[in-house]
Amino acid sequence: MFPGSEAALMDEGIASLPEASAQDPLAQLVRRIRGGEAEAFEPLMARTEARILALAWRILGDRHLAEDAAQETFLRVFRSLHTYRLGEPFEAWMIRIAVNVCRDLARKRGPLPVPLDLLDVLEGDAASLGAEEAVLLQQRRALVRQALAGLPQAERTALVLRDLEGLSTEEVARILGVRPVTIRSQVASARTKLQAHCARLTTPPQGGRP
Amino acid sequence: MTPHVLKHLPLWIEGDLAGTESAAVESHLAECPACLEAAEALRASQARLREAMASPFDASDAVRLRCSVMDQIRAEPAPRPILHLASRPALLTASAAALLLASLVWRFERGRSVHSAPPPAPPPTSAALSAEPDPKPAPTESRSALRYETQARIRPASRHGTESLPSGMPARIEFQTADPTIRIIWLAQATPPSEPSSTPEEKS
Repeated sequence: MFPGSEAALMDEGIASLPEASAQDPLAQLVRRIRGGEAEAFEPLMARTEARILALAWRILGDRHLAEDAAQETFLRVFRSLHTYRLGEPFEAWMIRIAVNVCRDLARKRGPLPVPLDLLDVLEGDAASLGAEEAVLLQQRRALVRQALAGLPQAERTALVLRDLEGLSTEEVARILGVRPVTIRSQVASARTKLQAHCARLTTPPQGGRP
Repeated sequence: MTPHVLKHLPLWIEGDLAGTESAAVESHLAECPACLEAAEALRASQARLREAMASPFDASDAVRLRCSVMDQIRAEPAPRPILHLASRPALLTASAAALLLASLVWRFERGRSVHSAPPPAPPPTSAALSAEPDPKPAPTESRSALRYETQARIRPASRHGTESLPSGMPARIEFQTADPTIRIIWLAQATPPSEPSSTPEEKS
């Protein structure tokens, strides 16, 4: 029904949020759903589910919890679609709901779990590498995820939206309901901590015994 | 050498600095190996972040999620369709127009009731005429009273037009006071000048 291929639908969504317009296919789908055509929600999901899944996983750091968050996000989107104002960017509105769902789930869950052990099960692309390369790749990823999990919730969310979702500082500020200067401060702090964490763990200790 | 820019690097690395600030950072990096090394480390860290946080979900995960959500949506009662009668500005304009039309109709009807002939009243006495209110509105009067009096000022003009009335027809003179519930109506019969016995008081 829609021209987007599965590969395109699974795109990481690094590009900036599209502005809502008369030609926006999401806006047209929203109109159909609000007109009572619930089945139009399926193509709307097909266009946005990859982004919501990735976002939830990046904020929560847990795959199964991210799937729960994505499901809850879409149900909330469907049930509160009458509150969406046509003309505003639909994806930004949906991302705001997803962030709120993730906050709720993170609050219920408590502190982020320690990331998987460095020698845990190899992920898909790492399994195709040689044993030594795969281990190194897995270690590097685990280090970054560990550093991200150690960030305060507000800094982690700002960093995910700004650097991984590719939103502008102003868009992130609107979604999170804070001032842009706050987002700049949070992402600067998060980038510094992330770099320091990885540098500390990858630099060999000095002054040790030979 | 310009001052070190280490504290600006976390914002500069992703283009969060303004044009002048960004140019200053780049100018310093061109001449400071220490800051340049820090900038490269930060750049590598950002690249590792994007590589490590690439989405672990594939198409089958998305399809499974979609099916699960759609099953729940189909099981729910259908939401009420939202009817879009008009946009918000159009509704406001229509409401204002309806209000204006209603007020015009009300004024028109009020004007007709003023012009319509009330039951004949006896000629007022001199005492009644002396009690005629000042047509100028008092400063403390309400806005509606002022408006009404402005409309009623037209009425006394007929008093000056009594000479042009055909002989034998009574002249009708109305005074609307500031109080909309009080109206003084004066019916005057013009007397032919050939009758010398009549006095001005009798004319009135």
